[in-house]
Amino acid sequence: MKSRDQEYREMFMAEALEYYDAMGRHISELEKNPQADAALNELFRLMHNLKANARAMGFNELGEIAHGMETIFGLIRSKEKAFTGSVIPVIFGGIDTIGVIIRAIGEDAPLPEASMLLANLDRLVKGEEPILDGELAAEDSRKLELSDLVYIQIKKLDHLLNLVGELIIDRDRVFTLGQEIGNPALQAVASHLYRIADELQYSVMDARLVNVGSLFNKFPRVVRDVATAEQKEVNLTISGQDIQIDRNILQIITDALLHLVRNAIGHGIEQPAEREKVGKPPVGELAILASTERDDVLIQVRDDGQGIDVESVRRKAVERGLVSAGAAASLSPSDVRAFLFEPGFSMAKEVTDISGRGVGLDVVKLAIDSLGGQLRVDSELGKGTTFTLVLPTSIAVKGALLFELEGRSYALLLMHIDSVVSLWPQQLHVVGGMLLAEVQGENVPVVSLRQLLHSGDEPLPPADRSELHGRQDIIIANYNNRRLGLIVDRFVRQQNIVIKPMSQPLDTIDLFGGVTLLGSGQVCLVLDVPAITRVFLAKRP
Amino acid sequence: MKNRILIVDDSFYMRTMLKNMLTDAGYEVVGEAANGQQALEMATATRPDLITLDVILPDNTGLDVLKGIRQEQPEVRIVMCSAVGQEVIVNEALESGAVAYIVKPFSEEKVLEIVSTALQQGSSSADAASDTDEAQ
Repeated sequence: MKSRDQEYREMFMAEALEYYDAMGRHISELEKNPQADAALNELFRLMHNLKANARAMGFNELGEIAHGMETIFGLIRSKEKAFTGSVIPVIFGGIDTIGVIIRAIGEDAPLPEASMLLANLDRLVKGEEPILDGELAAEDSRKLELSDLVYIQIKKLDHLLNLVGELIIDRDRVFTLGQEIGNPALQAVASHLYRIADELQYSVMDARLVNVGSLFNKFPRVVRDVATAEQKEVNLTISGQDIQIDRNILQIITDALLHLVRNAIGHGIEQPAEREKVGKPPVGELAILASTERDDVLIQVRDDGQGIDVESVRRKAVERGLVSAGAAASLSPSDVRAFLFEPGFSMAKEVTDISGRGVGLDVVKLAIDSLGGQLRVDSELGKGTTFTLVLPTSIAVKGALLFELEGRSYALLLMHIDSVVSLWPQQLHVVGGMLLAEVQGENVPVVSLRQLLHSGDEPLPPADRSELHGRQDIIIANYNNRRLGLIVDRFVRQQNIVIKPMSQPLDTIDLFGGVTLLGSGQVCLVLDVPAITRVFLAKRP
Repeated sequence: MKNRILIVDDSFYMRTMLKNMLTDAGYEVVGEAANGQQALEMATATRPDLITLDVILPDNTGLDVLKGIRQEQPEVRIVMCSAVGQEVIVNEALESGAVAYIVKPFSEEKVLEIVSTALQQGSSSADAASDTDEAQ
């Protein structure tokens, strides 16, 4: 964890270098056209900012120089001074010195002395002639400066990340081989390779991180426009802008977030008059919040609108044939709300300009699924709704639980796992041909993963507790607010894995989200929890 | 409820430092704007209780932003932020409705003292004029 001082220093440096670059550009412009107002304004502003930032960091001399330069640009701007004669070398010298000082700060080197320049700046401000015998020295020290920042195309970073993924898999293989062969030299190289590859992986992942603020900051405008079109009054709160996430993940969720925000204003928050009738302030509250939880990034869209009417969703699900009336009646509110994510399931009463054009929350759901993330919805009728996106920080490496089934290794992403439990058969109950376990006060259906994978197109046979012997290792998976217990043979360990997509024609087997290679060289299938849940719902007795 | 603050400054460094100070003190920073256009948009969208406003901004002067926001939200408390040397602008800002100013570089205590005073002043004098808007 970086200290705050360290962070301030890095920020200061990045901005100072940017300012210095821009100063170079604008001063050349000014030299060509001494009346260039825009360039003058910018130079003035850059000096002003550099002054304030340098002083805040305690670089007082740099602050003094920027202050003197700002004053002179101010005088040129107000036509009290002209950008001619002896003013020019002092200003160029000043910008050079600023560059030298910034570089020295970056290298933690002693800062150069600048009393001569300060004296000349002072003379210019007072209307005296500067003394220019130091000019030659400045000339000698002038170097060509390149910015310390580079812009890089995201596809180059994508390529780098893919290569790192391959490397990690080979690294694990080499590491395990080293242990198997038992050659100390090979083992030493392998463990060095292990560390280097780890560091490389995290560096590449780090290079891809951006602040979620870069997306969030576009929302005030969106909210204003949507609220105006819907004739609603909305107060937007944004927080957690500095939480970092992989740039491609942010790109993928952009539309999802836009959709949720439009929904919140369109369907959630009521018209001012309607709100007042139910005793709410006329201005609705909308919040877009980011936070971190373990290795995940949580993004929430929260409104204080009318909430989701579970009963009307229940009715609609039955109307649309998604569930039988009998089964619907016994579903819990969170199970019912999960129907909102079914394809084409829209609750819009009227199709407005902004929301509810038949594109439902399933689009949001698909985007989040494609990232291996989770979408949750909490709502209280009359009080408001919160959508929570649980996202991985990085697309490269994901935390997974490895387990064994019939002697083979499988993996499940931790993001989809609520908990793991070991239960005796007598702690499981058979209800309606289905195993149920009480987990944290809730009844969770439990199924043998072996049966689920082997049942083909057949429905699952009714559960039989007598087939279970001894303690059962059960993974409580969670998808779309639905929890499902999966009985496996043995938990192995938790591990970060690099998921590779499956090659054709295996990619049609939708129960698996991909494969990963373990250090042993063994192929490990990564189970796709959304698909498993769907299969279970389709086949349950 | 936490007081909600919008930060307007064209320096990322300055914004971050201000945000950290204010957040640590329990205020809610509802947004950060880096230029005049953003400042006007975010002020409308976030309806903050208080805005810290840099006097020199890239596209607009801070003064224009001040006047623009005051016109739309007369109840919002605006605190000008400025480095030394801009006293003329600061004075004009105070005449145009800014309630206070902070001179950069600022200490955390100074910022918090000015912000808290500005919020208290605001709630006693501006409420009468604004309670139809959002007070309840």
